[in-house]
Parts: sequence; C-alpha cells; structure tokens
Amino acid sequence: MIMTSTGPAIVVDRLRKRYGAFTAVDDISFTVEQGEVFAFLGPNGAGKSTTAEVIETIRAPTSGTVTVLGMDVGKRKAQVVRRIGVLPQNFSSFDRITVRESLQYYARVFGCDADIDALMDLTNLRDRSAARFNTLSGGLKQRLGIAVALVNDPEILFLDEPTTGLDPQARRQVWDVLKGLKDRGKTVFLTTHYMEEAELLADTVAIISRGRIVAIDSPVRLTEAHADQMRLTLKSIDAAAADLLRNLGFAPVPVGEGGLCVPVETPDDVRRILDEIAASGLALGGVDVRKPNLEEVFLKLTAAKPATDVGDHAR
Amino acid sequence: MTPRIIHANLGVRLRSFYRERSAMFFTFAFPVILVLVFGTIFTKPEHLNFDLPVQDNSGSAASARLLEALAAGAAFRVVVVPVAVDATQYAKDHKLNLLLVIPKDFEALQKQRVAGAQAGVPVPIRYVYDPSSTAVETKIQLLDGVVAAANQTAAGTPPALTLVAASILSKRYRFIDFFVPGIIAMAIMTSCLSNALNMNAELRQKGILRKLATTPITRADWLASSIVYQLILSVISTVAILLVSYFVFDVRLHIGFWLPLIIVVEVIAFVGIGMLLTPFAKEAESASAVANAFLFPMMFLSGTFFPVEMMPAFLQAFAKLLPLYYVNEALRSAMIFVDDAATLRAVAVIAAFAAVVFVAGTFKTRWDEST
Ligand SMILES: Nc1ncnc2c1ncn2[C@@H]1O[C@H](COP(=O)(O)OP(=O)(O)O)[C@@H](O)[C@H]1O
Ligand SMILES: [Mg+2]
Repeated sequence: MIMTSTGPAIVVDRLRKRYGAFTAVDDISFTVEQGEVFAFLGPNGAGKSTTAEVIETIRAPTSGTVTVLGMDVGKRKAQVVRRIGVLPQNFSSFDRITVRESLQYYARVFGCDADIDALMDLTNLRDRSAARFNTLSGGLKQRLGIAVALVNDPEILFLDEPTTGLDPQARRQVWDVLKGLKDRGKTVFLTTHYMEEAELLADTVAIISRGRIVAIDSPVRLTEAHADQMRLTLKSIDAAAADLLRNLGFAPVPVGEGGLCVPVETPDDVRRILDEIAASGLALGGVDVRKPNLEEVFLKLTAAKPATDVGDHAR
Repeated sequence: MTPRIIHANLGVRLRSFYRERSAMFFTFAFPVILVLVFGTIFTKPEHLNFDLPVQDNSGSAASARLLEALAAGAAFRVVVVPVAVDATQYAKDHKLNLLLVIPKDFEALQKQRVAGAQAGVPVPIRYVYDPSSTAVETKIQLLDGVVAAANQTAAGTPPALTLVAASILSKRYRFIDFFVPGIIAMAIMTSCLSNALNMNAELRQKGILRKLATTPITRADWLASSIVYQLILSVISTVAILLVSYFVFDVRLHIGFWLPLIIVVEVIAFVGIGMLLTPFAKEAESASAVANAFLFPMMFLSGTFFPVEMMPAFLQAFAKLLPLYYVNEALRSAMIFVDDAATLRAVAVIAAFAAVVFVAGTFKTRWDEST
C-alpha cells in the first residue's frame, strides 16, 4: 500500500488537554505543511511536550482533533506511528546497549532494514558505534536519539527540545545535523525554548505561553510585526550625550559601563545620531546596532500579565 | 504480537542482563548459594533427632531396656531428668513440651503382664506434655510407636499386629530434597517479579517507555517478550540449582514433563503479577520495596523453607491463598512424590490464577498513558 499524502502534515484543531483540574493545553489550532520546519517555542511548562505527545499518539486529548498525514491520531495510532519519528524530551536508551545495537533494535522493531551506517554518518556517530549508551555525553545521546528517530525513514520528525542541556559546541553539532535534515526536505515539528534555535531552523514559529498560542508566523514576519525597533548601543560615551539625544527626540536608556541604548526606527536615525555626536566632539568607545530579534518578540509576548490588574478592576 | 519485535526485545534484554553482573549474581548465584548453605546446615543427621527428656523412676533392667530401645530408634536423643523432681514442674521450668515418665513399678507391671495375670492391661507410662506446642503431636506419635515396639520386645511376646512404618513417600527423603523444589519456585518468582518491576521502573524513569510508545511495539509484544525472557532465565537458574544439588548433596528428584510445564505457568503467573504491580512501582526505589513486600511473605509462608504444616492453622489457611504455595505443591508433587493427580491440581490452580491476573491486567491503564 503506497500512500502519498498531499495535504498538510499535521492539523491540530481546537486541542485541549487537562491534567485533572489543570489545563496544560488550552484550545489550540494550527497546521504544519509538508516539508516545513515548524518550531513550537515557549518557556518551560507552556505545554509544548504535551502538545507534541498528543500528536505523537502517546497522550489522549481531552478534546479537539489531531490529524497526522490525514489520519486521526486517536483512531489510527498503529499507522501513524510507522510514519513518524520521535525524539522525546530527555531521550534515553538502554544503558548497556551500544549505539549500533540501539539503532539495530529500533530498526527491527519498525521492521525496516535501515542503513545503520548511513544513519550513524548522518548524525556523526560512526566512531562511537561500539560505545554503550551510559558512556555517551549529552550531545552524543541526543544525536543517537535523532538517528533512532530516523530508522523508519519517517515523513514527519518530532524533536522535543533537542539541544536543552547541551554545551554550546554540542548544540552546534546537533544543529548541523538538523540543518542537514531540513535541506533534505523533511517535515520537522520542533519544540524549543531557545529563540536562536527557532530562528536558525524554523520556517514557521508558533509561540506558546501557558497552553495557548500567542503568535504564529515565519520568524522574519514575527519579528517585523512585534518588534518594531532597532537598538543602537553607544559604548563608553560621555554622560552629556544623554541630554543631546533627548533634545533630538530620542529616548536613551543607560546601560552597563557608561553606555547608552537608544531605540531607533530607521538606519537614517542611526546616521543622524552618529553625526551629531561627532559634531559635538563627545568621546565614543564603540557602536553596536542590533536588529530586532525573536527574543524580544518572545519576551514581549510571553511576559506575565501583572496579576494586580484583576484586583484593581474588582475594586 | 509480532515475533520480530519479541526477538528484538529479547536481544536487548538478554544483552543488558549479561552485561550487568549484579543482576546475573542475584538471579543465578543467589539461589545456588541458598541451596549450598541450607543443604550444609540441615543434612547433618543429628538435626533430625528430637531431644526426649525421660524421668526413669523405675531404674530397673526393664526400664533400661526401654531407654535403650528409645535411643536406638534414631529418632530421639534421650535426656535424663533427675528422679527427685516433680515432672510437671520440671517440664514447666525447663520449657519442655514433652517429658516421658517411667513409673516406679514399671518392671513389676511388665512382669505381671507377661505372666498373663493382667493380660491386655497396658503398662502406664506417663507423658507430661504441653498441648499448646505444635510439634508435640508428632513427637508423641513417634514415641507411641517406639514405646509399643519396645514394650513388646521387652515382654518377649511377638506382636499381634506389627505397625510397619510405611512412608507415603516413594523413598525416604531428606530436608534438602524438600528444600530444592522450594528454592526453584522461589528463584523463578523472585526473578520474574523483581526483574519485571525494576526493569519497568528504570525504563519509565529514564523515559525509554515514552520512546517505545511511539514505536509499533504493543503491550502484548512487551508482555510476551517478558515471558520468554523470564523463561530463559528460569530454565538456566533451575538447571543450575538441580546440578548443584545433585553433585553436592546427591539430590535425585524426579524430572519429567511436569517440571518445564510448571516453570511455564509459574513464569506467566508472576510476570502477570509484576504487570499488575507496575503502577505502584514507578521509581526504582519503590520498585524494590514493592517487590520485597510481595516476595518475603510469599517466601516464608508458602512452604519454601519449611512445610506449611508446621505453621498454625490460620497461617496454613492463608498460605493456601498464595500462588507460590501451589507452585511448591506442584513441584514437590511432581519431583518428590511423583503424584500426577496432585501435580495437576496444583498446576490448574496456578494456571487459573495466571488467567485471572491477565484478564485484570488488560483492564488496567493503557500502555501509553501509563508511561
Ligand atoms: N502527566 C502530567 N500530569 C500533570 N501535569 C502535567 C503532566 N505533564 C505535564 N504536566 C503539566 O502541564 C504543563 C505543561 O507541561 P509540558 O507540556 O511538559 O510543558 P513544556 O514541554 O512546554 O515544558 C506543566 O505545567 C506541567 O507541570
Ligand atoms: Mg517539554
């Protein structure tokens, strides 16, 4: 039976998941197209894993429907499972089983003769193929997890926080593997709380906060829509500069080591400020212009609303 | 249920087991060590004797002959109680559950009896005993036999009826013969329950179960894998126990088709119990606590180390509710008594028990949500 699906990879419709009285995922809907990398970005406890696990068929939703490659996850678990690959959060394998044996095990379980060597090459694990799982570093464990998730050549890959807890170098190595997968056109559902990761890898980012999706778009458009300012940082500048900038209509904010941070609208603003400083002869240690990034959008959208608001209205 | 998946699971579990020396030790070496230790302690013959305190008020040739007969019987070791004391008080003071009192006129009475003057009148020998003691009954029965025989010999008349001590056993058996089937049953139970619980807790805690839930493995595959895995370990362990007991203690048990069959039903029953208990053993620490809470009472009350008949009646009744009791019954019926009917009855009880456990297990939480 050959099934070629042309529709969306994942459709989540009004999904809700409660744990007892606590609502972990609250009425969320989104669509993941085939071939895209979809990042679910949110702080810890936002409901990322819960959502992923419902889509992966291992948790039953409280309400709402989830379709994967056109199949309802509640009704066709057996078929769905064969066509997805999952890297669970904190992936772990059998302690005393080697890298190669783990891959062989999962390949057998799926009943497919995966090219184990190719998978180890892809995840850069070839030289550790005889190492037992409990001797691997965090980054190697995650890469093994990704290789294991690929044994059945899945159409959709789920990666739940693939780089959490890794050191910067290990993280970069995992990203290299993921970029390779993106280039091969795999559909990827990625959860993360690192903006950098989402920005680097994702075609679409959904920001989730306390069980609700607060924004969903491409990283570029999200930044454009929600972070409307550039930031100019003037390092080790004369204290008199603050007054000068205020007179020009800007709102400088002091930052560390005698610096000033100035929100600006356009590149022209930057040139004007630098010209004025040069003309007035003020000392300047250095300049840094930062484009708005996802981090600012994220912080802005996921910031806790002050709880006192409600109390004030009640009075 | 997919043979391919069961095969894959077995590969991983057997490799993990082989590479974990402490698991190997507890599964294979521990039961063998128990056999060696208990075998060494209990095969010494004097442990089979009872002390028998005797107050000989007669002090005659006749009473000496009786004492000789008692000592010769190998069942008793005669301990002399001074004549001067009050027998009842002495028994109380020394916490004796049985004391034999030979009357002053023992010889005279015996002569009268032989002379035919008072034919049929028994020679009164008094037992002072503690009726609350469970062991005393056995002693008295044994004593009755020996005294009767001794009396008849002493009287010089051939007995009208001879009581031939016909054992219900096919041959005389020693404690170690009784003990070995118990250890086999215990080793299999321990391995099934604690391995199942510890493995599950470990897999759950490390999130491997969550990963497995996203593969085509079903609950049935998992259970079947556990059963086959435990069967392999159980067969190895049983063979090791039997070989050691044969070569060290010359234990010759009857090994027929019942033994493998009993191993299979025992493994299924205890893997099933392990499955029912997993929700109570989510962490590695609680897993061994839960396992021990089941294993220890089971071990001591089901007749592993001593016959349940030695326990008070209410504990005997309780033992009959425990699955391990029936495994012990089955193994001993098959391997010592060679009693097919009794074996079949016990096997049927275990099989019924296993069936109930599995039906209960399928109503339990789903395999994915339970992770
Ligand atoms: N099995 C569970 N039972 C009860 N609460 C849970 C369970 N799993 C997760 N939660 C709660 O649901 C919320 C969302 O969890 P999760 O989806 O794991 O968040 P994330 O992956 O975004 O960190 C958290 O507050 C968490 O404590
Ligand atoms: Mg999570």
